[in-house]
Amino acid sequence: MRRVFYLVQKEFRQIRREKAYIAIIFLMPFVQLVILGYAITTDVRNVGVVVVDQDHSRYSRAILASLETGETFQLLGTVPTERAARRLLDRGKAVVAVIVPHGFGQNLLRGEQPALQLLLDGVDGNSSGVALGYLQGLLAGLQLEWVREVPELARQIQSIHLIVPEPRLWYNENLVSVNHIVPGILAVLLTMITLFLTAMNIVREREIGTMEQLQVTPIRGWELILGKVLPFVLLGFLLLNVGILAVQLIFAIPMQGSLLLLYLMSLLFMLSTLGLGILISTLAHTQQQAMFIAWFFSIFTILLSGFFIPIENMPDVIQYLTYSNPLRYFMTVIRAIYQKGSELPVLLDEVAGMALIAGITISTAVIRLRKRNV
Amino acid sequence: MSDPVPVTTLPPAVVVDRLTRNFGTFTAVDQVSFNVSPGEIFGFLGANGAGKTTTIRMLCGLLLPTSGNATVHGNDIYTQPNRIKACIGYMSQRFSLYEDLTVRENIQFYGGIYGLRRETIMQKTTELLQELDLVDKADQLTGALPLGWKQRLALSTSLLHDPPLLFLDEPTSGVDPQSRRRFWLLIHRLAAEGKTIFVTTHYMDEAEYCHRISIMAQGRLVELDTPSALRDKYDCDTMQEVFLRTVSGSPSL
Repeated sequence: MRRVFYLVQKEFRQIRREKAYIAIIFLMPFVQLVILGYAITTDVRNVGVVVVDQDHSRYSRAILASLETGETFQLLGTVPTERAARRLLDRGKAVVAVIVPHGFGQNLLRGEQPALQLLLDGVDGNSSGVALGYLQGLLAGLQLEWVREVPELARQIQSIHLIVPEPRLWYNENLVSVNHIVPGILAVLLTMITLFLTAMNIVREREIGTMEQLQVTPIRGWELILGKVLPFVLLGFLLLNVGILAVQLIFAIPMQGSLLLLYLMSLLFMLSTLGLGILISTLAHTQQQAMFIAWFFSIFTILLSGFFIPIENMPDVIQYLTYSNPLRYFMTVIRAIYQKGSELPVLLDEVAGMALIAGITISTAVIRLRKRNV
Repeated sequence: MSDPVPVTTLPPAVVVDRLTRNFGTFTAVDQVSFNVSPGEIFGFLGANGAGKTTTIRMLCGLLLPTSGNATVHGNDIYTQPNRIKACIGYMSQRFSLYEDLTVRENIQFYGGIYGLRRETIMQKTTELLQELDLVDKADQLTGALPLGWKQRLALSTSLLHDPPLLFLDEPTSGVDPQSRRRFWLLIHRLAAEGKTIFVTTHYMDEAEYCHRISIMAQGRLVELDTPSALRDKYDCDTMQEVFLRTVSGSPSL
């Protein structure tokens, strides 16, 4: 055990001398949170809309007016022809074109249920889907007003009992995506620091020959692993706390759940990613190789974590694959603790997932580091 | 300056019996057998790729042999690698020190890894710094030291646990002649204290400093004797010539 102390002491002496580490721990959380926290947003705002008004009626003007209110749409103006609108879509100036055909108002009053054409730029399918939803809601609102003006339909509508949905959003009342994204960024930061720094650190020791020097000493495999894991767990906790502080200071997002629970969960999570980092280091011969392998893993880790793409939207095979991803569990955990104030009993599945991965990666790493080259 | 081979009744420090190591179809070490006596300076000569480093790595427990047997200080290399590690010092040509630690911190660290007590580490540190003439450089980063100093510091750190056996893999590569000379004086002092030294080199002048020389070529041991006996056998004045004769005499060249 005394050997572990000397390993940890050595590691901290080296970390203290490396200015990059200080920047990574104290600056990276602030910079990443500020930039990514505002940049990664699933809120759909300021969608450029162009209207082709061939009707010039009270109704087409009402559509224009409703597009001007609210933050979702940005009315770019009206153009005379559908071709002009298409050109704006082609050039990416507008995302949505609303075409109000000639005679729309008259037909509407006659109860003919006229068509209203909507053109959407589907390149970013997610955003245009959301925009379409908003647009339909908006038009539905207008229709409720207009239907009373159509004598024929007004009579019918009195006999229909319309359902009035009353949505109440829990946990994140205003659907602010920042509240969802920011704890996610914290989780990603923690992944990066534990995965990359451990992998690079061990491979560097191999490059300069000190790893071989350690292997000819009577040190045990588990002592060596513990001597590497402990400093980086402590470093991870430092980063986590700087991150929590940054979240509080910049975004004023309150943590609903227990800080202690988040600490325990983070420990479990870091053990799994540190184990992965050490495993990566046993696969790489140079720091560049370690970097590439760590990148390869972290891309999958982040994309398949539900950070910005919900796991439920993925194909079944990929969904099964995500069970092997420690960040998948921690992403759920950190969001649940931040937004819902979840307690341990509802997070037991995630605890099991992370514990299993940590157990597998660390024990494999011990075996691989101890093993002589065969 | 080569002393007579120490006469001893103690069991051999290293026993190697038909040790073989393949890498795929390539045989790096081919049926090598020899013994090393306690207190002996045993030189391992050969061109790059002759199998010296592979042999030393197997004896230190860093690499598993393909076949053959060996014991180091009575410990089997297959089953007792940890006992071997406790009784050997190892220094490679890379002088594996932490360049971003100070001289004192390096000594402390390796002392700690070898399981020395805190007081022993303190005492050893003071001793070593004086011995190496590094007292006023103790708190400088090791990376800033000249190569010759790094070499002697690396040797000293590998001796912190006072091992009876020392494996040196090309310990003088890249070091200037004066530092090499100082280094070999140190080696002889250690041998006089009773330590067994197993050293690989490709500097032929250094071979003269060894009690016995073994010459490897293409993974096989082609000669094993005292430097003077080898010079007589090949009727040469220097080990350089002996080496060239043995290597050119090997069948595949």
